[in-house]
Amino acid sequence: MFVARSIAADHKDLIHDVSYDFHGRRMATCSSDQSVKVWDKTESGEWHCTASWKTHSGSVWRVTWAHPEFGQVLASCSFDRTAAVWEEIVGESNDKQRGQSHWIKRTTLVDSRTSVTDVKFAPKHMGLMLTTCSADGVVRIYEAPDVMNLSQWSLQHEISCKLSCSCISWNPSSSRAHPPMIAVGSDDSSVTYTGKVQIYEYSENTRKEISSSTGPTKFEVQIVAQFDNHNSQVWRVSWNITSTLLASSGDDGCVRLWKANYMDNWKCTGILKGDGSPGNGSSGQPGALGTAGGTLAAASQNSLNGTSVGR
Amino acid sequence: MSGPKPDILWSPHHVDRYVICDSELSLYRIESLGSTEAKAGAVPLSEETAATLLAINSDTPYMKCVAWYPKHEPECLLAVGQANGRVVLTSLGQSHNSKCKELMGKEFVPKHARQCNTLAWNPVDSNWLAAGLDKHRADFSVLIWDISSKFTPEASVPAEKIRLSSGDTDSGVVVTKPLYELGQNDACLSLCWLPRDQKLLLAGMHRNLAIFDLRNTSQKMFVNTKAIQGVTVDPYFHDRVASFFEGQVAIWDLRKFEKPVLTLSEQPKPLTKVAWCPTRTGLLATLMRDSDVVRLYDMQHTPTPIGDETEPTIIERCVQPCETIIGSFAWHPSAQNRMVVVSPNRGMTDFTVFERISLAWSSGTSLVWACGRHLYECSEECGAGAAAAAERDVATKMRERAQSRYGHDTVQVWKNHVLAGGNDPQLKSLWYTLHYILHDHHRYYIIQCFPYFFGNKQPLLYSGIKNIVKSSTSGTTESRRCWSGSERPAEVVRYLSEERGLALQLCGWIRCGPDINVEPFLKSLEQEGEWERAAAVALFNLDIRRAIQILHKGASFDKGDLNLNVVAMALSGYTDEKSSLWREMCSSLRLQLSNPYLCVMFAFLTSEPGAYDGVLYESRVAVRDRVAFACMFLSDSQLPRYIDKLTNEMKEAGNLEGILLTGLTKDGVDLMESYVDRTGDVQTASFCMLKGSSGEVLKDPRVQCWIENYRNLLDAWSFWHKRAEFDIHRSKLDPSSKPLAQVFVSCNFCGKSISYSCSSMPHQGRGFSQYGVSGSPTKSKVTSCPGCRKPLPRCALCLMNMGTPVSSCPGTGKSDEKVDLSKDKKLAQFNNWFTWCHNCRHGGHAGHMLNWFSDHSECPVSACTCRCMQLDTTGNLVPSDSS
Repeated sequence: MFVARSIAADHKDLIHDVSYDFHGRRMATCSSDQSVKVWDKTESGEWHCTASWKTHSGSVWRVTWAHPEFGQVLASCSFDRTAAVWEEIVGESNDKQRGQSHWIKRTTLVDSRTSVTDVKFAPKHMGLMLTTCSADGVVRIYEAPDVMNLSQWSLQHEISCKLSCSCISWNPSSSRAHPPMIAVGSDDSSVTYTGKVQIYEYSENTRKEISSSTGPTKFEVQIVAQFDNHNSQVWRVSWNITSTLLASSGDDGCVRLWKANYMDNWKCTGILKGDGSPGNGSSGQPGALGTAGGTLAAASQNSLNGTSVGR
Repeated sequence: MSGPKPDILWSPHHVDRYVICDSELSLYRIESLGSTEAKAGAVPLSEETAATLLAINSDTPYMKCVAWYPKHEPECLLAVGQANGRVVLTSLGQSHNSKCKELMGKEFVPKHARQCNTLAWNPVDSNWLAAGLDKHRADFSVLIWDISSKFTPEASVPAEKIRLSSGDTDSGVVVTKPLYELGQNDACLSLCWLPRDQKLLLAGMHRNLAIFDLRNTSQKMFVNTKAIQGVTVDPYFHDRVASFFEGQVAIWDLRKFEKPVLTLSEQPKPLTKVAWCPTRTGLLATLMRDSDVVRLYDMQHTPTPIGDETEPTIIERCVQPCETIIGSFAWHPSAQNRMVVVSPNRGMTDFTVFERISLAWSSGTSLVWACGRHLYECSEECGAGAAAAAERDVATKMRERAQSRYGHDTVQVWKNHVLAGGNDPQLKSLWYTLHYILHDHHRYYIIQCFPYFFGNKQPLLYSGIKNIVKSSTSGTTESRRCWSGSERPAEVVRYLSEERGLALQLCGWIRCGPDINVEPFLKSLEQEGEWERAAAVALFNLDIRRAIQILHKGASFDKGDLNLNVVAMALSGYTDEKSSLWREMCSSLRLQLSNPYLCVMFAFLTSEPGAYDGVLYESRVAVRDRVAFACMFLSDSQLPRYIDKLTNEMKEAGNLEGILLTGLTKDGVDLMESYVDRTGDVQTASFCMLKGSSGEVLKDPRVQCWIENYRNLLDAWSFWHKRAEFDIHRSKLDPSSKPLAQVFVSCNFCGKSISYSCSSMPHQGRGFSQYGVSGSPTKSKVTSCPGCRKPLPRCALCLMNMGTPVSSCPGTGKSDEKVDLSKDKKLAQFNNWFTWCHNCRHGGHAGHMLNWFSDHSECPVSACTCRCMQLDTTGNLVPSDSS
């Protein structure tokens, strides 16, 4: 049972990304109004905006948190071709009293010549590393050699993906059984014959990231399930912390939740309307979402767009 | 624009009204379904909204285009452009105030009759109405009328003459003198006023786009292009204009008007309408003829200044508001991204274009998403009931289990399944298995009876029934046992050996010791109300009378199943005659029994000796019972084969009941791996592997990975106390996981570590045990460096020398200290710890410092402005599991 409630975001334009910190007690949003807002959860569970500042001179596409062991650090990327790293510092006491915190820019990464479409910190066991990808198809991996000095970042790797990149994701596993991996997604509409997702892994021997999915495939990528319930383009997907629940959003304005049962059969367990109103399959309570019944049972044969890279 | 196809217009001020115009004008009011459900005549527009027809106006025939008066008063005033070039003011609705009456029916007549193509009200000076007409060689095509101009007698005469078409009887005022006349000898197809200046008018002329400046009508700025239809200004960037020609949309920047800044991909059919979304920047909707989709272009950035040749990012989307072909659409003036579409046969649909929804899961159970400018958070509500519990996500389950100290019960290991909620049969089986394996008495017994098991490098104890059965060294004895309690001397072959006995113990059927009596087990099953299972176990031990007795007891028990009596009756008729009716009936009817244990009872009774597939492969029967059964009745050749097969089955399915077979060996890790793959339950996996696996298994990268992931989960949930407890628990079983000391404090004078020298002091044990009793003479000793005997730094507040042994030396009788110290006292001891700020390096007794910072934000040391307490944001977070 999921219940949605609205948060007064007060952004002046579209919100492009929203991201929780490691503990789920802070949240950052970014918007076309060129600003980033940081939200803190009060003890009563309400979200309270504690910082809002102009970060870029263009739409801010993505915002992401570093692991808290590196401090309170955010990274953002924008249409203005830059990515930036921000750190919260202890503000003046009156700031604190007003419940506001102060964020300062530690660095601006200006290597991209086109819009920077995504930014992600690497898993913490790799140290303080940051990846960006840009519309011209370049993935850049930066590292802060001194984790105490966030203003120095060196460009470690530059991978040319040959496709306009729209999103990146690190393999979160710290297992030594396989090297670090990044998946890069493309929104290039012209390409249909090869995959739009490329997976790169770090090769210890050559000390650089190598591609493993475009050429001869090292991994067997298997479609576990595929669904077309959104009836239209699917925009975003997100795993929960144990990767046992998947949320997806699509052009039909719905957020759908997916879950696998014991037999690894995925099915839709809930629909939420994007505007917070109850989904079609729900009972009449306002804002409440029941488990979607009969209509979806049939859909489970259809399958969903989730891929899993060899476990 | 309209013609046979209906067009649609939203009222500029009433958020719930719109007009459909085809041959007549119809005013609709849109309402949410809740309030109009009862009302007849409401046309449903979507799941939530319906429209009611308020008024129809058919006074103006030959309608070509319509424009809604932009000001509040008079409301519902519409200008209608007709096929003969006349522009008529008309109204819909009832409010007839004086001003409205005066304007109603007023006509504006061009000199030469030809079609009126477009109308545009000036948004600032709302008396000005621009009309675009077809070409006439001796006339202008862009006429700007002043609707407030008074009736002029000389103008009325020609008006009388030209009254060709309007057969209406109204004696409306006729105006024939326009305020401005522009665009001679040309046709005008589209018009729009530029918001930059109220006197600038953009017109799509025959072969060019022209900007007329009314302050100087002789001058115009123009650019030759074919894209002259449907000019419209972006409401958010007043320099951005869209126009179209056939299937192509051109986007213009008025600051560099020479050529379009952008042409959008061409559509196969001509476009009929292009409109900027009024509630959102850079969203342009286009409609193609005979199409059922509205194509949206999302220009997600502000137009760049001149000279910057960046490639603009445009996201193209198609939305399909309804099943039918779309005749026209209109954006709602204020509701976000909302539009009404109308089909050629006047079917209407209310529709909202959703923005790209971005979403994220928190480490807990909440999901947040952003839709447009709005944020929504949603979290999983804890539903009650077993069904809800089973449906819940494993993350939620693990969270709850962590809070109930799941896995921490090392004495009564089986109890962990109760801590886990007690509703998962697999976990129950797992923890009972571990309980039997780890049970102390059991261990001693095994060591006594099977010393050779421990001669091997790997103790067989943890290695599960599979290895126990394989390693069978002592001979198996066959014994022919008679049925007790049955008159007939039927004999069943039963196998016995030490290993089989051990296996039965692990299965829980018999207690440890040489005794192979199952009676205690039956008693406990009876207590739990598992009558069928108890009966089956009794039967497998060839005690048919006991089985019948159990069934009877079950039937007579409170709320018991009376059918059990019937089963008991059926049992009592057991006969081993091959061709008896009893046999025949039992073997066919048993399949209809819903309880698996009842089913296998009859399977056992009716099967041939040595062929017990009906029992062994009944998957609904618990693995431990099947294994125990196999250990009793399968021969030495059959048994390992069966166990192997079952083990592989369990491994593949990731069924935790199989841990009984594999034990906590490599095999067990394999099984656990497929369990984790399937469920994601790293918690159970970590605790299970820590419960007594050998070091080798613990070093398996998979096991380490589960443990790390589980610790990470606890950290992410801010269950730091639980994580610390887990680490303690872990270090007990896996000493190699102990972390090193994190902080060393060295003396200012001699540079030696305070704790290091402290632990090397001969009398430290005594010192520690007496430490904490304030004012005790030994305390003065610890205020000095143990190495050089120089005093330690002073507390910034009390100005006393600090002194607390920070080392956690082993063997300091900590445990008994803990017992008699109340919570307050423990904290009192913590008050003596010394702390310092990493930034300014000032410090003091922890208690004093905490006290100080509860009222102050700056460091207590004079002239130090360090905000020591606010430096670390994470430190201010409180754990979620503090109890």
